[in-house]
Amino acid sequence: MTRGEFRTLMTGLAFTSPWILGFLIFTLYPVAASIYYSFCDYDVLSRPVWIGTLNYHDMLTDAVFWKSLKNTFYYALVSLPLGLILSLLVAVLLNNSVVGRPAFRTFFFLPSLVPAVALAMLWLWIFNGEFGILNYAMNWAWTKIGVFAAWVSAFFSDAPLHWPKPHFPNWLAEEQWVMPAIIMTSLWGIGGTVVIYLAALQDVPRELYESADIDGASTWTKLRHITVPMISPVIYFNLIMGIIGALQVFSGPFIMFGGSGPNRSALFYAIYIYQNAFEYNQMGYACAMAWVLFLIILALTWLATRATRKHVYYAGE
Amino acid sequence: MKQFFSRLAIYILLITGSAIFLVPLFWMMSTALKPIDQTMAMPPTWIPFRLYAQLDGERVSVKTGETLSAPAVVVVIKETGQKRIVAPDQVVKGRLVTRDKSGEQIKLPVTVVKEIPASKQEPWIRVTPEEVMAAIQAGKGDTSLVSNWDVVPQNSLVRERALRWDNFGKAIKALGVYEFTPRELANNWLGIVPGAWRDNLASSLYEKMSPKLKRIFSLNFTAYLKNTLILCVLTVLGTVLSSALAAYGFARIPWRGRNKAFVIALATMMIPFPVIMVPVYCLFRWAGWIGTLRPLWVGSFCAGAFNVFLLRQFFMTIPKDLSDAARIDGCSEWRIFWQIILPLSKPALMVVGLFQFMGTWNDFLGPLIYLTNQKDFTLALGLQFYQSQQGGTEWHYLMAASTLVVLPIIVLFFFTQKTFIEGISMTGIKG
Amino acid sequence: MKIRLFLVFVCLSAAGIGIAFVGGCAPTKSDKTADGRTIVTYWEKWTGFEGDAMQAIVDDFNKSQDRIFVERLPVSSIDRKIMLATAGGDPPDIAGLWSWAIANYAEKGAITPLNKMLAEAGISKTNYIPVFWDLCSYRGFTWALPSTPATMALHWNKKMFREAGLDPDVPPKSLDELDAMAEKLTVVQIDRKGKKARVRYTDLTPEEKEARDFSIVQLGISPAEPGWYNQMWGYWFGGRLWDSDRKITANSPENAAALDWFVSYPRKYGLRNMQTFGATFGNFSSPQNPFLAGRIAMVIQGVWMYNFISKYSPGMEWGAAPFPSKDPAKTPNVTIAECDVMAIPKGARHPKEAFEFIRYVNSQAPMEKLCIGQRKFSPLAICSPDFVQKHPNPFIEVFSDLARSENALYVPQISIWNEYVEEMNVAYDRANIGAKTPRDALTIAEERVQWKFDRIMRRWDKVKEERIKEWSQ
Repeated sequence: MTRGEFRTLMTGLAFTSPWILGFLIFTLYPVAASIYYSFCDYDVLSRPVWIGTLNYHDMLTDAVFWKSLKNTFYYALVSLPLGLILSLLVAVLLNNSVVGRPAFRTFFFLPSLVPAVALAMLWLWIFNGEFGILNYAMNWAWTKIGVFAAWVSAFFSDAPLHWPKPHFPNWLAEEQWVMPAIIMTSLWGIGGTVVIYLAALQDVPRELYESADIDGASTWTKLRHITVPMISPVIYFNLIMGIIGALQVFSGPFIMFGGSGPNRSALFYAIYIYQNAFEYNQMGYACAMAWVLFLIILALTWLATRATRKHVYYAGE
Repeated sequence: MKQFFSRLAIYILLITGSAIFLVPLFWMMSTALKPIDQTMAMPPTWIPFRLYAQLDGERVSVKTGETLSAPAVVVVIKETGQKRIVAPDQVVKGRLVTRDKSGEQIKLPVTVVKEIPASKQEPWIRVTPEEVMAAIQAGKGDTSLVSNWDVVPQNSLVRERALRWDNFGKAIKALGVYEFTPRELANNWLGIVPGAWRDNLASSLYEKMSPKLKRIFSLNFTAYLKNTLILCVLTVLGTVLSSALAAYGFARIPWRGRNKAFVIALATMMIPFPVIMVPVYCLFRWAGWIGTLRPLWVGSFCAGAFNVFLLRQFFMTIPKDLSDAARIDGCSEWRIFWQIILPLSKPALMVVGLFQFMGTWNDFLGPLIYLTNQKDFTLALGLQFYQSQQGGTEWHYLMAASTLVVLPIIVLFFFTQKTFIEGISMTGIKG
Repeated sequence: MKIRLFLVFVCLSAAGIGIAFVGGCAPTKSDKTADGRTIVTYWEKWTGFEGDAMQAIVDDFNKSQDRIFVERLPVSSIDRKIMLATAGGDPPDIAGLWSWAIANYAEKGAITPLNKMLAEAGISKTNYIPVFWDLCSYRGFTWALPSTPATMALHWNKKMFREAGLDPDVPPKSLDELDAMAEKLTVVQIDRKGKKARVRYTDLTPEEKEARDFSIVQLGISPAEPGWYNQMWGYWFGGRLWDSDRKITANSPENAAALDWFVSYPRKYGLRNMQTFGATFGNFSSPQNPFLAGRIAMVIQGVWMYNFISKYSPGMEWGAAPFPSKDPAKTPNVTIAECDVMAIPKGARHPKEAFEFIRYVNSQAPMEKLCIGQRKFSPLAICSPDFVQKHPNPFIEVFSDLARSENALYVPQISIWNEYVEEMNVAYDRANIGAKTPRDALTIAEERVQWKFDRIMRRWDKVKEERIKEWSQ
């Protein structure tokens, strides 16, 4: 190594030092320690006790662990595709040269700015069983449809239409409605994804659509064969980020239910890790669970990459 | 023609869509500006209002009670002075025929105050002046106050829009107050002053404070806000400085092993937070920092991989010739970084800083883990704490407090819209 | 331009570092008062008159000597806060906990055993009503001393008894009798030929009882009210939740019988009706508390209930008696005993001084002053003769006698009690809404708690010797 190279190395290291320091203190050491703790029984107050793979073993028989995993997958499997499709649709709509596009974009984007705590409060109020605006709106819409249906049916029959009066769910108190409610709140925050899509859509060459128009392609065909392939890297990026995000959901449900919800229906994986670590002081078990989460994320990312590899189009390749 | 309809469809979809997205926010504001009885009413009211009635020739704002759709009379029971609404046939020769609690029939002498010709078509309604209602709810109601109501025709009520701005003040108070003493001042606000002077300074400052200022300082909200702002300033500063430094090191200095290091940096982005959560907690515990704000900002002075990546991409786009020319002039790397690269990268630095600000403002898990003392809470944690203590009946206060947490972010967004949107597109596309 | 930017950065950094000191550097707390007394920090849950009563004792203590100054700090959700503070390394000197938290705290090494200091001070089990001493023990060590005790008893509304044609001075003697009385005390509103009528449940026709098409106006008793002791109803059936060794017995026949009894109420009066009725209850600490509002005639409550009656429903005629068990001949005077305790967290800076205050509170005169102040009975074995006469609660002896009963039971002393409660609440809830049979619900609960408990015991087996050595020092 010449003197010049050495100097460059030193300067480089000096500039990079904040990251190197952070890497050593807040990544390398914690990762190593986390692996060690995951093989220990550790309650913070006394020293860790080595127990081998028992923590991992325990997960197999821990019914609550499976419940939390199931909840998290339910959430990810529904909210992720729904969110991706919905935000793509909004972006495509906005990408038409509409008047007042910045305003519309802002409207869709604003909710994604709302802090998790305020978001949780707001939706607690909206889902409220007694005075919730959601049930009121649903009831209102249902009655209006009923009036319309009665009007239509009067043309065909003299008998008055029997319009059922459904019992609207008490969203946050009934086990089976908790997850749909949480998914709804997550869909409200798709604004960020919309903006990303929109930026990507603007990079799609206009000529492609124009030549498709000449061929007489329908809107759907254009969406299916031009738009989606052209922005596939962005869709892929959003998918991966979505997987990572969905598996780590914590604040919203934690605040809304102060823990786990009716019959643990809102117990997400990350919440269970938190409970083990800071409520039950089972730090070792929490670490083991975190590693399993990491493995799941890696596996899913790998799967997603494999599944979409053929369909992701990179310009310039 | 076809095009017209498709455009119409697009507008309809966009307008309904954005309406659905905005209604919750509107509902939050609307609830925040209502009195409690309007939050708990079905059907809901969108715009908070006040009802006015003519009582004794005066226009008074009132709260309503039960509706009467059949004739009735208002009587005063002579013995107790109690005022009641009863059916006309219950009053026989100046006596009210009724049952006591055990079901025995009794007759009470009464005076008839008012006869009410109510009917299904023209219902009457009981009204109580708002002030009286407030006094009763505050527990100051004596008999004369409790009887201070009247019955008026329902359609004589006048409804006017009235936003209860004072809800914000009340919500802030509802978050809690503590006793503000010179010691609190010294411990929570003057930590920077050396120990020997702190107490003296605190007591002299304390004496100079006006009572109003003391009241402001005694609010939990003030402490929450202070903590949140401290964290925001520190983390933004830390993140921007440290990430810019590291990114410069990665982007513009060709040291050996830098590509390998950069790959490692990218790989660390995959590690989910729960994996390192426990060891990092133990680290801060070992340092004795649990229950202080330090764990929440110290880390930001160690550049995070994501921001380094973003800034590196940006620095790479700056022409090499610029720094080469400077180097020939004898500029040190530091000066090149500080005087050439940084000024050119303001937009990217803005993005990083803005997102960090948002991240800190919104952070919930971090404060939840590290903060043990209520006076150290951030706004997010303080709001959640209030909600979990309250259980949830005072929705107007909860919504007012939530609005206070949301509003700064929204205002910030409107001032920095361009940076925001560019930043998000940048992270999305280049990632 | 360059200079300006540079200046901006310098200013910002300076401001940042300045603020870092304000917010970041927690001032080093002084642990001496101005006149050189050692400050002992004491975190306690009480506010209001209970807090005042304790503060009076603290003031007495501070006046009685000149070396120690106790500083009392009211803290909400205290068991969580103290655990967090202790884990974080900054605990108070004295922790005002509940007896049921001791096992958890001791198991995790968050509090220190007091045996040595107790021996030096000559304090032993003989000084206390036995059950309260037992409550402070775990794995053979004593971890805390009581501050104020409590037992649970049946509270009944005499006026409602009279209205139902029952003798207001004779409470039920067995659980079956209680069920029968509860039917008489229950009033429902029912549609009879289009007219709304208020009828006692016992006056309903069999068909009407079967249809359950009514709304509840008042209820004799609701086993779900207040809902704090659901998991322990088995005690009144002769059951236990734990075999005192390694086995969780949530699904014992007695506990299953208790849950059967619990769900017999929603089955009898209709689940929806009970839920609608329950939705109208106000906060426990308010005039809308169903017992205080005269909507429920009988309730199981602790010795503190007197305070709430006199505060929110001062005119109420009421009585207190042991809550009857299923088989009163075999298991008379069943009650749940618990107490507030004072413990010394691990890592406390002044354990010696802290113990001095704890010891002071546990001497007869201050303890009686505290317990009168909080309207409770004294946990000490010896009680001054005029204590009962001075006591405002006319039924105080019911509670202190219950504490001396051989069936004064308490929560299992296991460190996962919180989790046990959580599982039992799930089980009771599921059985209550009919989603699971009581047996199945309890089987699941037992499995889950046993699973957790096995892990705790596994750990204990590994660290047992080391721990006992550490604690014995």
